[in-house]
Order: sequence, then structure tokens, then C-alpha cells
Amino acid sequence: MGRRISPVLVVPMENDLIIQTKALTKSYGPHMALEDLNLSIPRGATGLLGQNGAGKSTFLKTILGLIQATSGEGTVLGYDIKTQGVEIRQRIGYMPEYDALNPGMDAIHQVRYSGELLGMNPVVAMSRAHEALQFVGIGEQRYRDIGSFSTGMKQATKLACAIIHDPALVIADEPSNGLDMKTREFMISTLNTMVNDGQRSVLMASHLMDDVERVCENIVLLHKGRLAAQGKIEDLKAIDREIEIHVWGGATPLEQRMKDSGLTVRREGRVMRIAHTQEDTTRLILQAASEVGAQIRQMHEYEASLEDLFLTIMDNLGYTVKSSEDLLRGKSEARRVDAPESLGGSGA
Amino acid sequence: MSDSKELTPEAPVTGKARMDVAWGANTGDETNASTNVASTAQSGEIFEQEYTQWNGILNPRWMRNWAILRHHLLGIFKKGHRPWSMPTRIFILIAFLASLGDAAMTLLASLIGSAEVHAWFGVNRDNLYAHVLGFFPRNVLWYPIVAALLVGGVISEDRHHGTSALYFSRPVSRFDYIGMKYLSVVLIQSFVVLLTYLIYFLAEILAFGRGWSWMIDVFPMFLAGLIAGMILIVTYTSLGLSLSSVSRGRFFPGIGLLAIVFGTKTLASIVKNLFEREILYLLSPYDCVAHVGQAIIGTQPTYDQYPWTYSLVSLVAMNAAALYILATRVSSMEVTRE
Repeated sequence: MGRRISPVLVVPMENDLIIQTKALTKSYGPHMALEDLNLSIPRGATGLLGQNGAGKSTFLKTILGLIQATSGEGTVLGYDIKTQGVEIRQRIGYMPEYDALNPGMDAIHQVRYSGELLGMNPVVAMSRAHEALQFVGIGEQRYRDIGSFSTGMKQATKLACAIIHDPALVIADEPSNGLDMKTREFMISTLNTMVNDGQRSVLMASHLMDDVERVCENIVLLHKGRLAAQGKIEDLKAIDREIEIHVWGGATPLEQRMKDSGLTVRREGRVMRIAHTQEDTTRLILQAASEVGAQIRQMHEYEASLEDLFLTIMDNLGYTVKSSEDLLRGKSEARRVDAPESLGGSGA
Repeated sequence: MSDSKELTPEAPVTGKARMDVAWGANTGDETNASTNVASTAQSGEIFEQEYTQWNGILNPRWMRNWAILRHHLLGIFKKGHRPWSMPTRIFILIAFLASLGDAAMTLLASLIGSAEVHAWFGVNRDNLYAHVLGFFPRNVLWYPIVAALLVGGVISEDRHHGTSALYFSRPVSRFDYIGMKYLSVVLIQSFVVLLTYLIYFLAEILAFGRGWSWMIDVFPMFLAGLIAGMILIVTYTSLGLSLSSVSRGRFFPGIGLLAIVFGTKTLASIVKNLFEREILYLLSPYDCVAHVGQAIIGTQPTYDQYPWTYSLVSLVAMNAAALYILATRVSSMEVTRE
């Protein structure tokens, strides 16, 4: 991609912030796990994105007050992450990515115990455990041993443990990981209900961009311990405006011609996406098609997904990342042009 | 129907009969009024998801610590708390009943009026020592095995199941986490070792009608035995929990504790028999506790080559090393993944 964007994209957000950090740095010896992180996360749902080793876990541990930052400062719900870790952990609900349930206990008592660990009275905790498990959709199974639960039910139980005390902020680490389609839908709708009906905030760390996009308004993207992007998803998507065209015949010459005209082109077979960076992009595309004799069957503004945005930002940072399409299909198949050879395609 | 006609197979299909059923059998001249039909089905789902808010009070630190302690202690007796395995529960019951053997024999001595039986089993300096530190059967068959079964999964299972995140993502400090787990294991062992010791002492008082003068005379011995029992429990707990903190399973810590207790004891015995040197018993937790116990209760010492303070120093070093390992390992336990 020829376009260059600033490595750090910051789109200003409203002042109602739940997490704020200033020059937050955490190093383990010579390794910088977090470097000069300036974050402003507003109320509502925010996605925490980043590849493995980007610093997501270190960031979560730092804002939970579990590890001390090397330098810089930060607040969560107005509490200092360096000195008020206990207050923070009392007011947030953390749903870990990995199993955090005792398989020998039944769901209701596990959730009640998680409430008691927050300081809830046992009777009140039991009452809230019923409500929380009902909310996450496993009210009927609450007296079953967790060891007999499916992955989705375990995820739901972890969420119930996190929300038993009705926290102002829920930190959900990969909440839809390993779930089948139906359970995943339910988990997403549950998180949405919490945000929209419950007026609670969610910080959701996930690799599943589609899920993040469906739950979150904002994202924070970390890369190698640094902030790569933050802001509203809609605003960030504006950096990646493209025009998508479907070509019949002459795709390769057209691609070359457009590149010669200074346009940035991404091509998947007969589908091409051209960066919409200038006013006359449409005219340049049509002119190029006319010159090489290619037919443009469809032409429309392409609405980028969050995954596209993520790939674009990573690409601009000089980091090659495989997309979902790449992972699902072989490279040769991904590049296949389904137009006849006579019309410039591969003939497949 | 107002304008009823006979329905025959030849009658034309107009759909009117069906409409009459659906809308009523009127002719169309009815009063012009709206009809509201209550909708019964909305989305076809029985489950209605509703987020309920909560404005309760979260209690301070002592309540959180009490929750951890309660969770572990009540798990021995009832469901809904820490799920101790059934063999552990059964063995604790057996060890508890077996530890009451001397109390039962004291009652029997009183009932049959046998001075000989009372001399064998009644409260005296040697029997108080034997109740907590006697090697066979208590420190071979009961107490180390109870300790091994208890410490087996207390921390290692939190690692294995990831439940450490449940604690550390909440306002529970690692000190409180270790402290309450340690205390719960100590209390359950105390139930077997010290509660039975107390019952034994009470049995003597009740069965033989002992008065205040006897109690005051014997109390220092009783107290010394109690302290010796505490040292035993604390040492086994420290060693066991340190092993539990370096493991992810239940088997290794339990077997490891038994190997340390019996292995060092066996090694010290072999060296003593072959070379007539007792120095290696300083490596044996049981021998060191027994030596210190004999010294403070005042029974005939079986370890007489070195002063009992050597054993005390060795015990302090063992406990310190075990607690250091425990603290280091627990402080490195992760919240985000384990």
C-alpha cells in the first residue's frame, strides 16, 4: 500500500472517560512491554486490539493495579492505578480469557463465591448469583457441576462471576473465543444488553474483529507496547475509504493502468479496491477502464470492516498480518480471477 | 350464520365460511367499532434478558478473607464450598476418630476402674507427647497423610483450573490469599490433632473428676503439648503448601510431602544405625519437631547427641525456606493466564 498514515491515530473522544493513562510505561528489564501509552477510553464499549505480544495483558494487569507501572500515570473510574488497585478491582468485573472456574463446583455457588470475594454478604451474593446466571442465559443449569458445562456455558458463568456486583466496567478478555455461532451471538447480544440497557461500560479484548465491531463503538489498538490507534470505529474507518469495482475482462491491464495513474489498488481476483484519497478518483478509474477496454460491472464505495482497518494500520506500521480470508483460503485460490482467459482473467 | 346456506360438495368455494369463522358471522352492517386483539406472542422466546442493577454495599477486607476461610473450611462438611475430594473427607473422619482412641481408653479406664489401663492411656507427660508427636501410629498413619491430602490441591488446583484469576482480579491481595489458604489448612489439621488433644484432656477431667489443683499442675504440660502440635501442623503446612505452589496437580504436592517426611526420617535412621551419628535428623521435619516437642514437654529425649536448639533452628530454617518458595511462587501467579 502506498498510502502512509501516522503510526498513531488518535481521534478525539468525549470527556466522559473511564480509563485514562498518561505516558504509561512498563518495562521488564530491557523489554518495554508498554511504552509511553496515552489512552483515553470513554464510557460505553471499547475494543482492545493487538496481536500477541502487543501488550494487551500487561495493559490489563496495569490498569487492574496488579503490577506497578515503571513510569507514567493512569486512572480507572477515577481511581489511581498505582495506589488504588483495591478500589479499582472492587468496581470492575474481570472476565478472563482462560478457564477460571472450579469444575467440581456448581455454577450458582461458584458465582456466589466470586461475589463473596468482592466483599458481598453471602446471602446477598447468592441472590445476585441467581440474577446474574439468569441474565447470562444459564439460569436453568445453575445447579449443574461446571465440569459438565460446554465452552459456551463456561464463558457465560465467567461473565456472571464478573457482573455479580453490577460493576461500572466489565473487562472481557476474548469473551466469544471458542464459541459456536449460536452461543457467540448470544454472548454478543448479552454484552450489548449490558452496554445499552444496563448503561455499563465494557472493555473487550478480542481477536475476532467482527465481534468487536458488533459490540464496541471505540477501539484501542496496541502494537509492540505502543498505541497504534484509538478512537471511534466509524471515525477511524474514514482513513481507509475505498472504491470497490468488479471488473469483467482486462483486470490485470486495468490494475496496472490505475497504478500508473497514481492510484493505490488492492486486488482480489476481479474485485479491486482503490483508495479514495482524491476528489477525482472515480474519474481516474473510469478513464483507466476506458483506455484498457475493461468492463466495470459494479462500482461502489466500499465500507471497510474493522478487520480491514486493522490490516491497514498494521500495514502502515510495516507489519504483515494475514487476514481472515488469507487464513481461510490458499494464496493461489485467493488470487484466482474467475473471468475467462480471453478477457484477461485466469480462466478458472 | 345470518344467511345460512346448506354446504354441499357442489357449493362454490368462496372462502366466505372461513372468513365467517375468522371475523364473525356478520353481514357487514355491524357497528363500526374497532376491535383490539391482545397479542400473546411477541418474539417467540420464553427467555427475556434483562439486566438488573445492584446498589448494595461491598464489605471490607476482613469479610473477603472470611469468605476464603469459610469456603475452604465448610467444604469439608457440605456442598457448595471448596470441593474437597471424598477420600480426603473420609480420611479426615477416620483420622479424627482414630485420634480419639486415647480419650476413649481413658473413659474405659474410668468405667472399669483399671489403674493399669489408665497408666497406659490416661493423661501423663508421655501420653500428652504421644497424642501429638508419637511416631506410630499417629505420625505414620494419620497426621502426615491428612496434611498431604489437604495441601495436595489447595494452590496447585488454582493454577490448574485458572481460579487464581478469580482471586487476584478481585480486591484480594496475595498476602491474604496465602494467609487464608494457610490458615484453613492449619485449622482443618487442628481439628484432627489439637481438637482431639483437647477432648482427650477433657475426657480425663470428666472421667476421673479432676479438680483445679490437678488442672493447674498438668496445664504446663498440656500447653507444651499444644505448642508441639502447633509446630507440627505449621511445619507440615508450610512444606506442603510450598510444594503445592510449584505444582499444577494434586498428586505431586501430597506425595512430595510424604516423601520429605518419611524419606528424611528413614535416611536419618539408616545413618544413625550404620554410623551411630544422629546429625542427619536435622534434615527430617518430623525428627526436629519431635526433638523440640520432647524438650518442651519434658519427656525422655530420644535424640541426645545434639541440643534441641539445633532442631529448633533447623525447623525455623525449613519453615522459612518453604514460606519463601510459597510467597515467591504465589507472587508470580498470573491473572490474565495461568
